[in-house]
Amino acid sequence: MAVLKTENIVRHFGGLAALNRVSVEFRENEILGIIGPNGAGKTTFINVIAGIYLPTEGKIFFEGQDISALPAHQRCRMGIGRTFQLVRPLPGLSLVENVMVGSLFGKGLGQREARKKAEEWCEFLALSDCNRDITRMTALEVKKMEIAHALATQPKLLFLDEVMAGLNGDETMEMIDLVRKIHRRGITIGIVEHVMRVIRELTDRCVVLDWGEVIAEGPYEMVSSDPKVVTAYLGEEA
Amino acid sequence: MRNSRTLLYILILAVLFTLPFYTGVYLLNVMDIILIYMALALSWDMLLRSGQISFGMAGLFGVGGYAAVLLHLNAGLNPLVSIVLGSLIAGALAWLIGVAVLQLRGMYFAIVTLALAEIFRVIVRNLPDLTGGPEGTVLPSAIFSGNSTKTYWLTLSVAVVSIIASEIFRRTRIHFALTSIRNDEIVAKSSGIDVFKYLVFIFMVTSAIQGLTGGAYAHIYGFVSPEGSFSVDFTLLPIAMALLGGMHSTWGPVVGAVLLGVVSEFLKLQIPYGHLLVYGLIIVITILFFPQGIVGTLGQRFRKYGSR
Repeated sequence: MAVLKTENIVRHFGGLAALNRVSVEFRENEILGIIGPNGAGKTTFINVIAGIYLPTEGKIFFEGQDISALPAHQRCRMGIGRTFQLVRPLPGLSLVENVMVGSLFGKGLGQREARKKAEEWCEFLALSDCNRDITRMTALEVKKMEIAHALATQPKLLFLDEVMAGLNGDETMEMIDLVRKIHRRGITIGIVEHVMRVIRELTDRCVVLDWGEVIAEGPYEMVSSDPKVVTAYLGEEA
Repeated sequence: MRNSRTLLYILILAVLFTLPFYTGVYLLNVMDIILIYMALALSWDMLLRSGQISFGMAGLFGVGGYAAVLLHLNAGLNPLVSIVLGSLIAGALAWLIGVAVLQLRGMYFAIVTLALAEIFRVIVRNLPDLTGGPEGTVLPSAIFSGNSTKTYWLTLSVAVVSIIASEIFRRTRIHFALTSIRNDEIVAKSSGIDVFKYLVFIFMVTSAIQGLTGGAYAHIYGFVSPEGSFSVDFTLLPIAMALLGGMHSTWGPVVGAVLLGVVSEFLKLQIPYGHLLVYGLIIVITILFFPQGIVGTLGQRFRKYGSR
């Protein structure tokens, strides 16, 4: 069954069609890769699903319910979680308080339970010393904090937008393990990534976007050898 | 630690409450002004925690004042009841305005609030039958017949209510919502926070505090007028106090109000009308050299040494 389904999503920015008739299905408990060259519309696609942008045309169904017109905070509470391509920590709040924002509002918990849940997620992601100031964190830790923040809203569907970017080899391996661990909790994952090794190792299926359109869909091995995909990434032979 | 702090608060409150028994009328009058401005400074800071800057305090202050005075005069309500109702009216009005304009952010919102005081002033001035027009309305008698002790207790209550409201905003989930909204609205929305609802709510609460303050002020001095009740002082001085004391905290505006209140009282005696100049200088120096204000800067020092 599909957790989330988009039907012919169109999103214009002025005269530019950032997304053009995108229909994608996120099946229950799968890891779906969303790949494509820079500017293909991957992040816009996540923003439309999360409700940051409303689609110009088309419909979005979450667990069978039409959510196309719902505001972002309601979609979050229904179970759509996300991280951000450029990390967006909240200064003035400690590590655990950053995560707490997710459990306080996404899950509607009281402060005490929200803190407990936030601490659990920090532990789950191997984030130690969770009362510390967020200015003293490594890139990996900030990324983990963002994931914990998203997980604390208790999503059924979680979007990870380039969580591997800027990480070194070991850190990437650790992050891949973490994504698997999250997935084992029964959370459906949509992952946007430029590091193809990550997509190959993690995903069940991939959707390839180029110029806002889906140009290929299927297992990584299949789409990676698709001539259209190769052309999109490398350009046509002169 | 927690108990000793509670004890300290109770002690301070006790001293403040019993102040009239061992001081003179002059000091109480100065305290009235300080406490009124303290409440306004707190209300400004509370909204600022969401990232929105208001220049409209004088507007809702005046609305609260007029509402309290007119309800007392025309409906014969008890002055204290009319003050509370004036506060509710200011809050309700802010809710209506907020729903209409809180799609705006930053400077755009600030400009709208700046216009509020002016709009209300013009309306009030042009409804002479209801408001007394340009001359304003004078009450037959000030609240408590001008008894300075009771008057002081009234302003103390207004300030305490504001401090409690501010602390509630700092300690509950509201704090997390406002901090998220201030830093990054997209993150806030994506965490399940209804940004618009929170902004309207906090605009309403802070405006109700401004209305409450305005009502108390109007009844203490026994009159309202378009120029006096919507004076730009009620917007600018609280902002200066909150900036000097330190933003995004309860104790910043409190400390700022006490300091600037005392300083301005002193300056008024030394250089009549020149005190505003010194005021401006203090604000410029604060913003340039310690933008976090007194409480913010000291707090940071304290934490630094504490962690060593």
